[in-house]
Amino acid sequence: MTDTPTFEQALQQLEQIVQKLEKGELPLEDSLKLYEDGIRLSRLCHGKLEEAEGRIEVLLKDARGEPVTDAAGRPKTRPVPAGDEDER
Amino acid sequence: MSQKGFDFGEEPEERAEPARGARSADDKEAPKARSARPAAASSKPEPRRALSVSELTDRIQGVLETEFFDVWVEGEISNLKLASSGHWYFSLKDDKAQIAAVVWRNDARLVRFKPKDGMKVLARGQLRVYPPRGSYQISVQVIEPLGKGSLQQAYEELKEKLEQEGLFAPSRKRPLPMLPRRIGVVTSPTGAVLKDILRVLRSRYANLEVLVYPAHVQGDDAAGDVAQGIRALNKLAARPGGPRLDVIVLARGGGSLEDLWAFNEEGVARAIAASAIPTISAVGHETDFTIADFVADLRAATPSAAAERVVQAKEDLQARVRALDERRDAALRLKLARTRHRVESAAVHRVFAAERNRIRNQAQRTDELLRRSEASLRRAVERGAAHARRLRERLEAFRLDRQLAARRERCAGLGRRLEDLFRSQTDRRRARLGRLAASLDGLSPLSVLGRGYALVWDEARERLVRSASEVAPGEALRIRLHQGALRATVTSRENE
Repeated sequence: MTDTPTFEQALQQLEQIVQKLEKGELPLEDSLKLYEDGIRLSRLCHGKLEEAEGRIEVLLKDARGEPVTDAAGRPKTRPVPAGDEDER
Repeated sequence: MSQKGFDFGEEPEERAEPARGARSADDKEAPKARSARPAAASSKPEPRRALSVSELTDRIQGVLETEFFDVWVEGEISNLKLASSGHWYFSLKDDKAQIAAVVWRNDARLVRFKPKDGMKVLARGQLRVYPPRGSYQISVQVIEPLGKGSLQQAYEELKEKLEQEGLFAPSRKRPLPMLPRRIGVVTSPTGAVLKDILRVLRSRYANLEVLVYPAHVQGDDAAGDVAQGIRALNKLAARPGGPRLDVIVLARGGGSLEDLWAFNEEGVARAIAASAIPTISAVGHETDFTIADFVADLRAATPSAAAERVVQAKEDLQARVRALDERRDAALRLKLARTRHRVESAAVHRVFAAERNRIRNQAQRTDELLRRSEASLRRAVERGAAHARRLRERLEAFRLDRQLAARRERCAGLGRRLEDLFRSQTDRRRARLGRLAASLDGLSPLSVLGRGYALVWDEARERLVRSASEVAPGEALRIRLHQGALRATVTSRENE
């Protein structure tokens, strides 16, 4: 949906940065730039792990079993039933 | 509900209440069982006198239990319940009919094989009628397996076929995303299974969108529903702006082979194989494998196990990121230490003024970088307590400030040395100039006059008088003393 990398991508990039830094071949200024990128990626990873905006929805479907969507193509949903029925 | 068997010996023959669901008198000759033979002629009721339900049931019981006192029957076990009492309750069925069956504990003990749903068996027993319910069942004394049940056979045939096609190949299995953001679940929206899954997911990682495709997971519609659900979720995810699902979970609680049957249908297997989104099959309990289990990218023993597999524990991932943080910080510190070392050696070995400027610039730049680095490191410190503690210990060892101060001190010292050098050269020149000035002083005529000498000029002050013969008596002279001057007249001349 956005351009921010996924957790997996961020972790991979961080891994590459650490490897470059550990080689120690770059000038200090470039190293520092990389380091700051590393901080940013790490923060992104930690942030993604801490995010808490979960949603749980049940799709609405039509007679043919297709999900019902709105004009923008987003599926229409209803909340998970709260009942304690035991249909397995 | 479990199939309730009944032990005839424990039930009174006569019941005050007639059984419910009593049939009309028209059915009297052919109670449900297709195998019923024409009843004995003697049981035919008189035209006008209606039987009570109990009387009718009594007669049916007499007929059935006499006629089927010892019967062999072949069928498939279904709905098997192994009661804790030791009795077995199940249905025997074929493609058109079924009959309730029971094996009492004492007989069950003697059975050599483990009964299972779907198993075809040969059973020998007697038919028993249960008047309170108007039902009948076969009380089995001897039972033995008879090849494989038809469902079992269908299962094995499909499994064989799909395996041949390579649908179970390990190379087809796709890895699950490390941290899925959106999860599709195909299951009953009202079942305990969904609740189990959601509970586990939420306990591990809160940032999840779960999209449930409501499906029947049992009965005639189930296979179609589940297959359709997999396809629908794939379509939805592929749509522009649609929810990008990272994984699809198929879930259902445990049950008999019949209960789980939808997940053994070819349609479901094909839908799983065609899914662009990785799938997890979580059907039944540990011991039951369905065809869906084999085709899916991952098989979980239970729905909650599936949820655990979908989302790795947050703590594990955090630990991984932290390990990288530490390596990154250590690498930068090493870089800083090396750079500082280089700058300092340059400062020590080069004492020319031009070099000094360059070194100063470099030192200033380094200072700036060091300050930024330090700030970055500090910010890093702010994350997480344990992490921060380790970092601070290392920072302590590092003491950026102290090293900076030491190096600044060194630069300043160098400056002082150069200044001292200039100063001492100037001083030397000044001293020499003093000495020169002093010797020049000795050459000045005025200083000679000071010692009592005088200068003698002629009247017109045109020439200095150096010899007595240059003047005649009576001539006027001017005499320049150390202080002031005199006019004089020559009275006489003495030649030397």
